[in-house]
Amino acid sequence: MDPVSILLSFISVIVAGFLAGLLGSLTGLGGGTVLVPVLTLFLGIPIVFATGASLISTIATSAGSASGYTKSKIANIRIAIGLEVATTTGAIAGSITLIAVYKTGLIWIIYVIFGLVLLISLVPTINRARFELPKKMKPDWTTRVFNLYGSYYDQKLKKQVDYHAVRWWLGEIVMFFAGFISGLLGIGSGALKVLGMDWAMNLPMKVTTTSSNFMIGITAATGSSIYWFAGYIQPFLAAATAIGVLAGAYLGSKILVRITNVRIRWIFFWVLAFLGVDMIFSGVVKEQGLPSTGTVSYIGFAVSIFISIVLLFLLYVKVRRDSRHA
Amino acid sequence: MPKIDQDSITSLILKSGVILSLFMITAGVVLIFVRGGGDGMTISQIANYYNPENPVTSKSLLPANFLNGLLHADGLYFISVGLWVLIFTPVTVLIDALVTFGHERNKLYTLLDAIVLFNLLIAIFVIPRYIG
Repeated sequence: MDPVSILLSFISVIVAGFLAGLLGSLTGLGGGTVLVPVLTLFLGIPIVFATGASLISTIATSAGSASGYTKSKIANIRIAIGLEVATTTGAIAGSITLIAVYKTGLIWIIYVIFGLVLLISLVPTINRARFELPKKMKPDWTTRVFNLYGSYYDQKLKKQVDYHAVRWWLGEIVMFFAGFISGLLGIGSGALKVLGMDWAMNLPMKVTTTSSNFMIGITAATGSSIYWFAGYIQPFLAAATAIGVLAGAYLGSKILVRITNVRIRWIFFWVLAFLGVDMIFSGVVKEQGLPSTGTVSYIGFAVSIFISIVLLFLLYVKVRRDSRHA
Repeated sequence: MPKIDQDSITSLILKSGVILSLFMITAGVVLIFVRGGGDGMTISQIANYYNPENPVTSKSLLPANFLNGLLHADGLYFISVGLWVLIFTPVTVLIDALVTFGHERNKLYTLLDAIVLFNLLIAIFVIPRYIG
């Protein structure tokens, strides 16, 4: 490659990282979930290098945004560290599984799982944030033993909110899977972490999203070091994605507060749904041993657009119906 | 003595980690472009991340050689150190929190934090011996 095309390729990866960081931040799914499909589907980068670059870039975005949340005392560091017992264990298991899958040559499975996880994560992400505070639940024995109490100042509600978490054990179980997915797919798996704290432990949404963001860095660091020694991190690629994703996520967090129109987010969700379906399609194409360029990729593109529109339409109808009943 | 605000320290560690890491990574990229390569590889070999068989991966960049690479202004090692600063940023946060939990005599959370640190250190120092 000549120096000019090297520079252009490097810039295109930074731009891909930037878009992934921006979209990941605006939808709340995180940069990695968008970055891996963009790198593999559009830039033709091998999925192992894509997952490696994604996971290590995730630490940068997590640390960057969490530094703000922890200072304003919304994230609950104590509860987050307690849950990291499960996520780091899961991350170790997930990374080792990825190595095993890669060695057996069944890498197409990673594409399919990635696509499915992306599509499934969309459901709680879209449903999220409709209620600021959870329904009151009585403290259980884990609330007392693990001291799961906290409080934060809610700027939107303009009051100090006291809260407590329940079902610590269920949170840990969900977090193990969140860590596993993080290590297996090279993403922060923020959607699953939010599920663990919101659905399982009944924490307020603000505490959940900010604490999950803080946790992502610790989980991703565990997987990244295993990826490093397995050779899944291509340093030049990871340099470009780390810079791009961080910049994109930063801009995303700045404009997120200004986006009041909820409908605009549906366009972002559609892009994510498209990436998810296209990942599954690519996995199936690889399994069949078909070439992933030319006619096959055009068919995949068309099919993915069609299916993602149908999926999102169904989800939109469901959300509309739910909110009318509420 | 004024009470030290633990959340502000955590925030400071996270922020400094990201800034230091970005500085090292950017310096590394500039060095690779200016010097036309790094670690005995040309820039076209380093930049060929489209090839899954590319020999320039994290596996070839051993932490034992990091210091030497930095002293020789080798861009690949600047990037590597920048990426490892990222990995160690959460480790530092955990160590800092461990000290705080210890000071508060919070036995349960000192133990939980220690388990998380143990997991991370296993991932960094033990598992690498058995893979690859």
